[in-house]
Amino acid sequence: MSLPVKIIMIEDDEGHARLIERNIRRSGVNNEIVPFANGTDAMKYLFGSDGTGAEHKDQALLILLDLNLPDMTGIDILKRIKENKHVKCAPVVVLTTTDDEQEIKRCYELGCNVYITKPVNYENFANAIRQLGLFFSVIKVPQTST
Amino acid sequence: MTVDAARRRTIWQIALLAAGFAILVAISTASIYLVNRARTDASWVVHTVEVENQISLAQLQMRRAESAIRGYLLTEQDVYASDFEEAQKQLEPSLEKLRSLTVDNPEQIDSLNELIPATKQRFVEFRRALDLGRAGKFAEAKEFLKSGVGREGMSRIRDIAADMRVEEDRLFKMRTNAADHSQSLAAIVTTTGSGLVIALAAISIFLVRRSARARDDAEQELREANLNLEARVDERTMDLREANEEIQRFAYIVSHDLRSPLVNIMGFTSELEELRTDIFSRIARYSRAASAVPAIPEPIGDTNPADAPELQSEDKQLSQEFSEALGFIKSSIGKMDRLISAILNLTREGRREFHPVKIDTRELIETIISSVAHQASEANAQIRIEPLPNIVSDRLALEQVFSNLIDNALKYLRPDVPGDILIKGRHKLGFAIFEIIDNGRGIDPKDHTRIFDLFRRAGVQDRKGQGIGLAHVRALVRRMGGTINVSSELHKGSTFTITLPAQWTFGTQGKQT
Repeated sequence: MSLPVKIIMIEDDEGHARLIERNIRRSGVNNEIVPFANGTDAMKYLFGSDGTGAEHKDQALLILLDLNLPDMTGIDILKRIKENKHVKCAPVVVLTTTDDEQEIKRCYELGCNVYITKPVNYENFANAIRQLGLFFSVIKVPQTST
Repeated sequence: MTVDAARRRTIWQIALLAAGFAILVAISTASIYLVNRARTDASWVVHTVEVENQISLAQLQMRRAESAIRGYLLTEQDVYASDFEEAQKQLEPSLEKLRSLTVDNPEQIDSLNELIPATKQRFVEFRRALDLGRAGKFAEAKEFLKSGVGREGMSRIRDIAADMRVEEDRLFKMRTNAADHSQSLAAIVTTTGSGLVIALAAISIFLVRRSARARDDAEQELREANLNLEARVDERTMDLREANEEIQRFAYIVSHDLRSPLVNIMGFTSELEELRTDIFSRIARYSRAASAVPAIPEPIGDTNPADAPELQSEDKQLSQEFSEALGFIKSSIGKMDRLISAILNLTREGRREFHPVKIDTRELIETIISSVAHQASEANAQIRIEPLPNIVSDRLALEQVFSNLIDNALKYLRPDVPGDILIKGRHKLGFAIFEIIDNGRGIDPKDHTRIFDLFRRAGVQDRKGQGIGLAHVRALVRRMGGTINVSSELHKGSTFTITLPAQWTFGTQGKQT
């Protein structure tokens, strides 16, 4: 990857986080992965202490987002990201167990770039994440706007 | 108002009415009696007056006779003689009448018994004087009258008559008093009775008023209850709908949240499987090194059991047990995942909004049949359709219902008998009744309710399935405002009967927010 893209992983389930990280690594992606187990911490990191998101200017971010978080729904985070002028260009991959059509539609409407359902079947799961890793290694991620 | 109070009040009213009636009867009887008594008393008063009158009449005739005799002797004219005769003639009946009037009174009878001989004696004297006069001996006759024999008799008669009059006066007074008494008694009875009747009437009116008011109140309450009933039904329906939605949300969330840990279990089990391969290939390498066989370097991670070095028999056993355990875990997880998916699908179906449209039932079923044609020919089965009623309902739901039932019919045929599936329908009282009849293996009657439960199946378990189809069908039929029943016997085939409203509009179960 030409840019030092930082992968932000917002996932409350540690096991899921571990499995995702492992499979991304297996696909040969070695970018830094910053994990968050709840929405509040993730928001604090993304938008900084002033809530503007200015801390991340000139950074390339890629966000992996789970919808079912203990303190808020991923949809709220998605909305905040896409409303923020600094981080709105960062690609957001929603990675969740929900396969409700309404939910999927809503996420795309709010500006999510990819929506992936976590399959229970591990082979499929591993496959999906590895392909996502491959996808990460080829896509171009813009720097957050200044 | 309690039933007891009402009954007491009714008894009171009846008692009052009865009392009023009894008093009326008593008053009437007493009045008739008293009036009769008053009349009798009055007639006795009249009687007394009559007796006095007769006494006076008798005395008058006596005086007349006396004065006639005197006139005759003075004037010597015959006119007076005939006058005397006349008086005597009239005296007789007068005395007779007096006797008949006074038979009731022994005192008067005694007096009369004295009076009549005295009178007769007096007349004998008069007649002697008259006879002397007729014979021309006027001087002698005058002398006879002067002798005073007659005066004594006359005064006795006067005394007796006076006594009789006194006696009658006494009776008159007594009888008048009795008549007065009777009349005033009658007046008192009538007045008291009327007063009582009026009082009873007042109490009755009060009671009737009160029960009328109670009835009006009850009526008002009833009317309000009727008005409220509709509202209450709506309220309850709303509550039920909310409860139903809550259950569905609950099922959805639970099944959804169950999935998350399942991903971990499955994921790490698979990771363990990978690890197992690595571990056992290492064990194999080490044991080989230990037995001084030159080791071939093995790349870690990419080995698979087939390429792995030969394990020793003990290790092989361990590896197999390891694999077996992992296999059970994975198949159980797979099953759990399917069950959770089924629940999710059911709740999703429950959340879907229904849109009633006009449906050509025959066309809908023909489409389903054409999609299962391959299955049917494999099972050596034929599917027949009789004329079906068209209905207004949700197309997708109806499609799922029929396709599940036809699928089941094809799935559970008897292998030794060519399958025959018949679909027929009819209209009845605003409902469309559909029957799906097969000649398959049938269902034991004890399982007839069970088969509609989620994850429950019946009979020989030789076909794939989760026990979801019929649960789903029942949920759909209920949402379309209908019912589903089965009648079946083992080895004799089954009949599923669906009753759906012919014109389904958003009913109580179908309306979703």
